Amino acid sequence: MRPPSRQILALGGGGFSMEKDGSLLDDYVLSLAPASRPRVCFIPTASGDADHYVVRFYRRFSSECEASHVSLFRRDQGTGGVEEDIAAHLLAQDVIYVGGGNVVSMLGVWRAHGLDDVLARAWREGVILCGPSAGSLCWFSEALSAFHGAPRRVRGLGLLPYSNCVHYDAEPERRAEYHRFVGDGMRAGFAADDGAALHFRGRQLERVVSSRPHARAYRVEPLREGVLEAPLETVYLGAGATVPESLLLASPSASSAPAAA
Amino acid sequence: MSRTIFAMGGGGFTMEPSNPLLDDFVLGLAQAREPRILFLPTASGDANAQINAFQARFAGRACVPEHLSLFRLREAERTLQETVLGQDVIYVGGGSMRNLLALWRAHELDRLLIEAWRAGTVLAGLSAGAMCWFQGGVSCSSGPPEPMAGLGLLSGSLTVHADGDPERLPVWLAAVRSGALPGGWAVDDGVGLLFSGERLVRVVSSRPGAGAERVDAIAGELVRRRLVPELLGAGEQAATPDGDVEELRQVQRLRRGTGAGGALRDL
Repeated sequence: MRPPSRQILALGGGGFSMEKDGSLLDDYVLSLAPASRPRVCFIPTASGDADHYVVRFYRRFSSECEASHVSLFRRDQGTGGVEEDIAAHLLAQDVIYVGGGNVVSMLGVWRAHGLDDVLARAWREGVILCGPSAGSLCWFSEALSAFHGAPRRVRGLGLLPYSNCVHYDAEPERRAEYHRFVGDGMRAGFAADDGAALHFRGRQLERVVSSRPHARAYRVEPLREGVLEAPLETVYLGAGATVPESLLLASPSASSAPAAA
Repeated sequence: MSRTIFAMGGGGFTMEPSNPLLDDFVLGLAQAREPRILFLPTASGDANAQINAFQARFAGRACVPEHLSLFRLREAERTLQETVLGQDVIYVGGGSMRNLLALWRAHELDRLLIEAWRAGTVLAGLSAGAMCWFQGGVSCSSGPPEPMAGLGLLSGSLTVHADGDPERLPVWLAAVRSGALPGGWAVDDGVGLLFSGERLVRVVSSRPGAGAERVDAIAGELVRRRLVPELLGAGEQAATPDGDVEELRQVQRLRRGTGAGGALRDL
């Protein structure tokens, strides 16, 4: 049995929750799952399990996937979410999709339910983790969260030993704030625009993909004086610009995945 | 400064949309003529239905209502501290007690709420929003009911929906008997306990027939005493029947006799 490939797709913003037409980034994450009908579980904690968000998830994924969701607010009310053994359910997924919202709230609730440990284990066992915004920030050691207008340094799950900043182009003050935090001792990390996604394999950044032609991601590091912001090469997924097959085949999991029947 | 907590077993605008008795009682606890009242829908994940029900109930009343969402903080213009410490009443909705406390701690709101209580802000709430003030309660946050620690502003434990939720009460009674939870109160839907400092001073109800009980474990045995609430809204039309007054006084004497946590106020 091959060792599990640990993959995270961290979206600066985008996917079914933010992008009306093409959810190219969602297509991309599904392309990483070897199953023909992947099991995809949605965790909408960061939105307070907002009903409309759950509905949009099923609308997007239920035709091509075994879609499910976990609600941590209505575990006693039979709302169709997974209720029995949440840990076992999550560990049996191909993809765990974490929705956006408030990252501080989400991490607080996860820790209260022990979900932080379950998600770390799922990652180690090869479940693909992904999500936009709060669903990106949470995987990193540190994250920059906007909180009451004031930016805040947040401790994430630490699966990726970097810092992270999302919505990098959508909110102009984010860039300056992130630079200031990295300049002040926040660890080096990655920033992503809306529509850009950082694809990590293990702890290494494998590539950057985007659903918008101009969306970018950046490596941000402290220098002796100031901060280095290096744009990263980005593969645009739209308008005939399919992911080059060479890129997909270069990934160890794709090359060793069982051939489709 | 008086410290006031009003803990409801259920009821108020989320559960009794056509019965405003408990919510009017909450407003009446504030000193201000037009109290500033802050709703915390945290335990429900800031569900819109709760927020809308809050507005529907309080928008037309003599008060300044607002709500605080911990999931949509970016819409807020003031800091959490400014928002919480500037209120006359803070009203906490029901939902997941586990998530409520985790969220408050993640945002350090627990500290602010305690500060507000000490400064004289009335803390009110139902269900999870009532149990949270006690040393413990019984929560269904993970499905089946289980004992759970609260913030501990009030001594003892609380269990809610005592008449409306058949699974919760036995779990609480077993926890009190075993010592997993300290003795405390079981409260029906529609009933609220009013505490001044740590003392229970009134038991009120929005519905006839609903009640509460005080339960303690003494030498491994449960001692249960029924508390008969004042029925709100009845006083204006008809005087409280003498029998009820006598019963309350009896309860009061009983409670004084055992010294278990304060007396009921005279009617």
